[in-house]
Amino acid sequence: MSHLHIPDGVLPGWLVMAGWILTALILAFSIYRTRSTELKRKVPLIGIISALMIVCMTIPIVPIAYHINLSVIAGIILGPAVAFISIFIVNLIIAMFGHGGITVVGLNTVVVGAEAFIGFYLFQLFLTIMGRDSIMWSSGLAAVIALIISTSILVGVVYLSRIDPETVIGIEGGHPTEVATETNIPSQLTKGINIKSFAKTILILLGIGWLLEGIITAFVIKYVSRVRPDLILPQRA
Amino acid sequence: MDVAIIDYYANHGTSFLHKAKALWKVVFTALVIASIILTNEFYMLLGIYITLVTIAVWTRLPVSRIITIAAYPAIFALIFAFAMWNGSWLKAGVIILKALTAALTMVLLIVTTPYPDVFNVLRPFLPRVIAEGLFVTYRSVFILLELTDELIKSLKVRGGLTRRKYIRNIRNFSSGIGLLLVKGFDYSEKFYGMMNVRGYSGRITTQGTKTSINRNDVLAIALGLLIFAITISTVIEKRFLEFGVYILACSAIALVISSIYQQFQN
Repeated sequence: MSHLHIPDGVLPGWLVMAGWILTALILAFSIYRTRSTELKRKVPLIGIISALMIVCMTIPIVPIAYHINLSVIAGIILGPAVAFISIFIVNLIIAMFGHGGITVVGLNTVVVGAEAFIGFYLFQLFLTIMGRDSIMWSSGLAAVIALIISTSILVGVVYLSRIDPETVIGIEGGHPTEVATETNIPSQLTKGINIKSFAKTILILLGIGWLLEGIITAFVIKYVSRVRPDLILPQRA
Repeated sequence: MDVAIIDYYANHGTSFLHKAKALWKVVFTALVIASIILTNEFYMLLGIYITLVTIAVWTRLPVSRIITIAAYPAIFALIFAFAMWNGSWLKAGVIILKALTAALTMVLLIVTTPYPDVFNVLRPFLPRVIAEGLFVTYRSVFILLELTDELIKSLKVRGGLTRRKYIRNIRNFSSGIGLLLVKGFDYSEKFYGMMNVRGYSGRITTQGTKTSINRNDVLAIALGLLIFAITISTVIEKRFLEFGVYILACSAIALVISSIYQQFQN
């Protein structure tokens, strides 16, 4: 669970827009990559994986307010391009439940999409290094590392959100009135988010969650590799 | 989040909001969300929240259930408010209220509008694969929810989920998710086959979005415009914020009257 549960209207507009633009570009690239007659075959699979992610996200692990994402599993099974499409669909639907703001769907897709992308390539890398018998360790490790990186992106996004260009440059009535100097920037930024306490809270809460999601990912991939190896290792099947 | 209950509410309600067309409810939602984004005033946000609760009362659905569904983001807003803590309760309150109000707006839309209708409105703005993915995901969620229920029951009956055996529980639960995934994949292949037989050629056809307006639509748009107009006037002209307490009082009175009226109606 590394996506932003930040409400609408808290993050600066430029950051929200940047998230949407980045998502649109990656989506366009993903659709271009998966274009072909096979795309219509993938629609039901996208639907099932997205639905599974939504179902898992609706089960909160109460003491730490955590929920699993299954984004790394989506990345491993669908591949990063199709997984990104699936993650956008999931974020759009859960935003309708009020699960994170509707305006931050773009940023959320980038963060969770990064998780699937990193998870997929790390899984492939670990399989190559440790061998195909280490499928459980490879997937578990890939999930934990992908979650750590995506959560760092999340903290980075929150950090960026406090450096609102309007605040830093001191825009008044649409015109820059004062260019920020090294001495006056920190005093203006302290009005925003305390990034240390935010990062600390997030890392304490999510640390247990990463481990849990890593273990779950490892067991799920192990199970699927036994029952339907063609889903994970198509060349082997 | 109970997807099945939300779907039931959306399909079985009889209020004006249920009868209004999806397009105009999306417009109402967009106006309210824009208001929430624009204002950073605690009293304005509280006023909007109470107004939305009043509208929830008018939907004749269980209000406490709707508020509970929409309260989920508050947990995460609390973390954010804690990170932004500067000794001001009002600032923390603004963040939490923004989360609660935005969530309640979205929940009001989906408890009064079947998902496919909402997707139909979004369809022209989305690439085909995403628009169709939304429909198929929606359908698949209910099938998986049923499978999940069966899975959890069978895990409990067979001792797969027992107290204090955490590792074993996680392993069994994970295998359960794996099973759901494999079953889901098989289902998706069957689904694709069925769609092909029925003439699927990469495009799911729908009824399209109706744009005509009836009185329910007018009421939904008017409410959205009213909230937006009041908010934008306080953003443009700060003097109007002096009336914030009156706006709050008016929304509270409307809530009390609506609740009493609904009690008598029931």
